Amino acid sequence: MRMEDTNKSTVLTQSKPIKVKPLNKTAIVIRSTLFCLIALTILGFWTYDYKEVGLVEGILSTIANFTVMFTEPHFSHFTFTEGLYQVLITIGLALLTTLIGAVISLFLGLFASENLSSRKVSNGIKTIVAFIRAVPTVLWVLIFAVAAGLGSVAAVIGMTFHTVGYLIKAYSESFEELDEGVIEVLKASGANWWQIIWQAVLPSSITYLISWTFLRFEINFAVAVAMGAAAGAGGIGYDLFMASSFYLDLRELGTITVYILIFAILLEVVAIRVKRHLKTA
Amino acid sequence: MSNLLELSDVSKQYGQNTIALSNINFSVKEGEFISVIGPSGAGKSTLLRCINRMIDATSGEIVFDGVDALELKKRDLRRLRTKIGMIFQHYNLVERLSVIENVLHGRLGYKSTLAGALGLYTQKEKEQAIHLLNMLGLEDQIFKRSDQLSGGQKQRVGIARALVQDPKMLLCDEPIASLDPNASKVIMDYLQNISRSMGITVLVNLHQVDVALKYSDRIIGVSQGEIVYDGSPAQMTQEQIHHIYGSEAGELIMDTEEEKNHAG
Repeated sequence: MRMEDTNKSTVLTQSKPIKVKPLNKTAIVIRSTLFCLIALTILGFWTYDYKEVGLVEGILSTIANFTVMFTEPHFSHFTFTEGLYQVLITIGLALLTTLIGAVISLFLGLFASENLSSRKVSNGIKTIVAFIRAVPTVLWVLIFAVAAGLGSVAAVIGMTFHTVGYLIKAYSESFEELDEGVIEVLKASGANWWQIIWQAVLPSSITYLISWTFLRFEINFAVAVAMGAAAGAGGIGYDLFMASSFYLDLRELGTITVYILIFAILLEVVAIRVKRHLKTA
Repeated sequence: MSNLLELSDVSKQYGQNTIALSNINFSVKEGEFISVIGPSGAGKSTLLRCINRMIDATSGEIVFDGVDALELKKRDLRRLRTKIGMIFQHYNLVERLSVIENVLHGRLGYKSTLAGALGLYTQKEKEQAIHLLNMLGLEDQIFKRSDQLSGGQKQRVGIARALVQDPKMLLCDEPIASLDPNASKVIMDYLQNISRSMGITVLVNLHQVDVALKYSDRIIGVSQGEIVYDGSPAQMTQEQIHHIYGSEAGELIMDTEEEKNHAG
């Protein structure tokens, strides 16, 4: 007791300011990294080649373009229903790839989580999946386009591929968050692996699984738009590509953007609703 | 009465140097209520988990109900585990599922993989689950989600889940360590009741010496992986308690309480 008292008093009588965050190795690394990034940013702006475009002029003409896009949208190369149909094709592409990806990921995710499978299998799957994720989706689509030809087939395979890489990581981390005790109790009562999965693991982690899947669906919707333009997968992305680089029609570009925006918001609303329902039900 | 469980020379070693249990010998009669006490890290939990092989003992022999538990392969091990119910400190319920679903989990060991995975239980199993919940005073909670229950109620669900297995023995790993004194008493009373009226053997890990003294037929004291006391609570002296906890007289909370009682 006395020892502690004397220790306390020495700390308190020190006139030096007490540091809550000691300056250790981690702190030095973080601070110097941040400093380098700030320095590079300033240097970057300093050394830009702006050509003849002035900053103010550039901003003003961009605003003018946006004004034209959003205040005077019109239909010239497709009608309202045709546009709607094209958006639905894009949604379909996103839905299909997310769905196939989710089913594959669910099973592989179980084997990829360390608490449900062996360390060897888990590490093996995680390494492969990390490699798949490191390559961008567009690149996967183009790689598969070599075999399948540019178009929707390559887009579906490539997007599914990347979705699987993403969701296996997300799912397996959700499974690993699971309370070890719940698995232990079912094991102790004589339940086998599949029973534990269906009766304890999935019910406990379903909200995480759903929210990750929805997040990926949103990403896939955006990617599906890009694939329409880049890989000829069809849908609203192809119209976007044509309007912007073939017809140079800003007003139609505005129409397409509004289409995409509305559907993105709709997806978000549905996702929030479903999650809220799951949390309370 | 015959011996339900017999441990002879059971040892458990982690890695090269860490010895969790060394040469544990004891036998348990049918229907006995036994408390295992000892300091944290003495090996109480390991001892309990060795019995249903949640942890595999390094050497020795564990005979439960006439079967050598250490020899069992997958399917027979599952069958053995159905006969031993287990109760945990943190209840370990699937929080998102209803109370009755959690109780029915105790039946999984008896079911085929498919029926168990899909949660297809028979009418009889459901009736038994409801009967047990009534017995434990949870008749109003049957269809509630488990995360809406209090700690004491969750532990009673845990007991129901263990009992629905039709076990011969209950292993309780610090069942009252997270509960307030009131709920603790309720849980201990239920465990004692179960042991007496249903003839189920109960082996319970405890931190509270006074609770162990009050409820058990027999106390096993564990210290540093060895059994240092095995006998009735009546024969247990202060010196023996201090020997188990490796403490000097006057250092335990119960000592100071006793001093107070003497003074008052």
